Amino acid sequence: MSGTYGLYVVRQTGIHRLHPLTKLVYVLVCLLIGWLIPGVWSPYIVLLIGVVPVALIARVLPEVIKNTIKTAIPFAISLIIVQGLFWTGGTIVRQLGPFSLKAEGLLFAIRGTGRIILAVSGFLLLNYTTRSDELMLALSQKGLPNSISYVVLSTLQVIPRFQRKANTILDAQRSRGLETEGSYLIRMRALMPLVVPLLLGSIVDIEERAIALEVRAFSREGAKTSLLVLHDTRFQRAIRWLLMLGAMAVIGWRFYLWLAPRLA
Amino acid sequence: MERLKRDFSTISLAMIPIAIAINIAVGQIVKALRLPLYLDSIGTVFVGAVAGPWVGALTGLLSNIIWAIIFGDVTNTVPYAPVAAAIGFLAGVFSKYGWFKVWWKAVLGGAITGVVASLLSAPITFYLFGGVVGTGMDIITAAFRSQGMSMLAANFLQGLATDPLDKAISFLIVYLILRALPDRYIDRFSRAEDVR
Amino acid sequence: MIRLDRVSYSYPRATSPALNDLSVDIPAGQFCAVIGANGAGKSTLCSALAGFVPHFYRGRLTGTVEVAGIDIAASSLAELAGTVGLVFSNPFNQITGARFSVRDEVAFGLENMGVPRAEMETRIDYILQFAGLAGLAERPPFALSGGQQQRLAIASVLVMRPRVLVLDEPTSQLDPVGSREVFTVLRDLAATDEATVVLAEQKLEWVAAFADRVLVLHEGRLVADGLPGDILASPDLQRYGLEPTRYTRAARAAQAAGLRPEGDTLPVTLEQAAEFFA
Repeated sequence: MSGTYGLYVVRQTGIHRLHPLTKLVYVLVCLLIGWLIPGVWSPYIVLLIGVVPVALIARVLPEVIKNTIKTAIPFAISLIIVQGLFWTGGTIVRQLGPFSLKAEGLLFAIRGTGRIILAVSGFLLLNYTTRSDELMLALSQKGLPNSISYVVLSTLQVIPRFQRKANTILDAQRSRGLETEGSYLIRMRALMPLVVPLLLGSIVDIEERAIALEVRAFSREGAKTSLLVLHDTRFQRAIRWLLMLGAMAVIGWRFYLWLAPRLA
Repeated sequence: MERLKRDFSTISLAMIPIAIAINIAVGQIVKALRLPLYLDSIGTVFVGAVAGPWVGALTGLLSNIIWAIIFGDVTNTVPYAPVAAAIGFLAGVFSKYGWFKVWWKAVLGGAITGVVASLLSAPITFYLFGGVVGTGMDIITAAFRSQGMSMLAANFLQGLATDPLDKAISFLIVYLILRALPDRYIDRFSRAEDVR
Repeated sequence: MIRLDRVSYSYPRATSPALNDLSVDIPAGQFCAVIGANGAGKSTLCSALAGFVPHFYRGRLTGTVEVAGIDIAASSLAELAGTVGLVFSNPFNQITGARFSVRDEVAFGLENMGVPRAEMETRIDYILQFAGLAGLAERPPFALSGGQQQRLAIASVLVMRPRVLVLDEPTSQLDPVGSREVFTVLRDLAATDEATVVLAEQKLEWVAAFADRVLVLHEGRLVADGLPGDILASPDLQRYGLEPTRYTRAARAAQAAGLRPEGDTLPVTLEQAAEFFA
């Protein structure tokens, strides 16, 4: 992870400056369209038209590509093996020893991989260009409870400390002679001395963090204000509505495609 | 309603970030030990046990979403958020019936939770990801598939191969933590009387 | 400003009371230090002033704790936030983590109180300056040093303009550099004469330097109450498990060796020591 804002990559671009909800809605609609429109290549088309240009403008395309590939490759391999080789029935494209590669399975794997690439790259695009505190504020303004926003943001910042804590305990127990290598049983036995101190040491944190929150009027009811200001425009609001209408149209159309043969 | 408000007290809300951080940190330790387990819901199970099903469910749900943000991987995280929520919820239900007071009941509760988790994961894996999870676990799915089994069933059995054991161990660890904690710390939580 | 009347308190499951028949009045503007050995009841007293005893820890409270005219037992934590500020030892746990910069972290309490944005800006600017954090305003809170984090915790509470500020051993988890930073802020606070401050502290040299008054707790009871010069130089201090300041110890050694006449007032600060040995 890169710094405070989760995955956020600091760049001065128009995409970064957009209202968080505009980006959230845009990515969700891209995902929906790519997943719902029938056809093996539809996720790839949405990817090329919807995600890649925006990532390019936001100057995060290299990061998006790199991390999408990292996640998508294992899926692609699994899909080709599980679906391509073990497709029941279907047209045999090629014989590979005892297994046969099936055309239908292969197409299924291509489409599945496309869906995953689209989902991963869309999610990364959103996170690379949107600060999570701004996104949570935008959601709070739409009615998400403040407590949820606290939990998400606080967790993001607390995690690195716990990862360090875990490593410290790992080093400490190893230096005290705890065996963490070797047979399955040895490694299993190492589990408790590592996990229990981490957990017990954290319970005190919970109590103190709750007290600190109360001191800061966390449980006070009534209107809250915000130091952070989000910039929204009438144009962006219109775009969001259009996107949502478009998404509903696609859902309706897809539902019709599904329903029509069943009624006929 | 009163009960729910007490469950979602400030201490519960302060506990959720710590619980999620524990999920991730323990997951990291398990990875370092190269164990064929996840143990990435111990924090969630703990919250369910001491703060009830609803806070447990919220912890599981948010845990998976935050996992995605931290590691930049939306695939094995966000879609399975309902499963994580169910794990926290079930921990809360078992706790309500006092199952965290006896070690073997905790183990049994964990195993049942694992079966439910596999049942819920299978359709998600099947419908969203064409039946694969993108890890070595897919070999199990392929093996069942080669026996002529349906994809959905193969996904369920793949889950059964790990989830019940994984969750049984998670529940057992939470049981042990609850025994080791001084009463004065447990007292703060809304469902303290259920686990003592 | 603070009035304790025959206050006794026991934690749940505790066999002996943590506070035992405590009565004390602290007027507005006073900087009052509370000293005592570990387990003497300092933390419990701090918790009682901020309402965490009994509202958070539950347990049994008798007598009256009144802060700024509010009866603590009849109030709630939500109501008390903003009236009583509390700062404790662990800096990490006092930072909410829900805000990504020092500036936004300071704003957290004001946001919860619904303070308008323009007023927030002014208050935050002022308090960051006061706590010496102005240059760190845009930094992530968890990237700060311990001393800086603790100053951030103090600023985050002070910005809410509490009537009373309670500090429970704010430097016990800091290194000497961090402690000095925090005490510098506290000294400035004491110099304003406006804030009512209760500071539980083990480091007596700092207490001597700027407290208006010192309370000594021993096993939950108030055993001494007076000016820092009188209390800290008193031979009773050791009976309560406290170590006198090095200035007092040096002066006593000098008297024992016959270098200085018996009966002179013993020094508790560097300035007084300079005078004593002059």
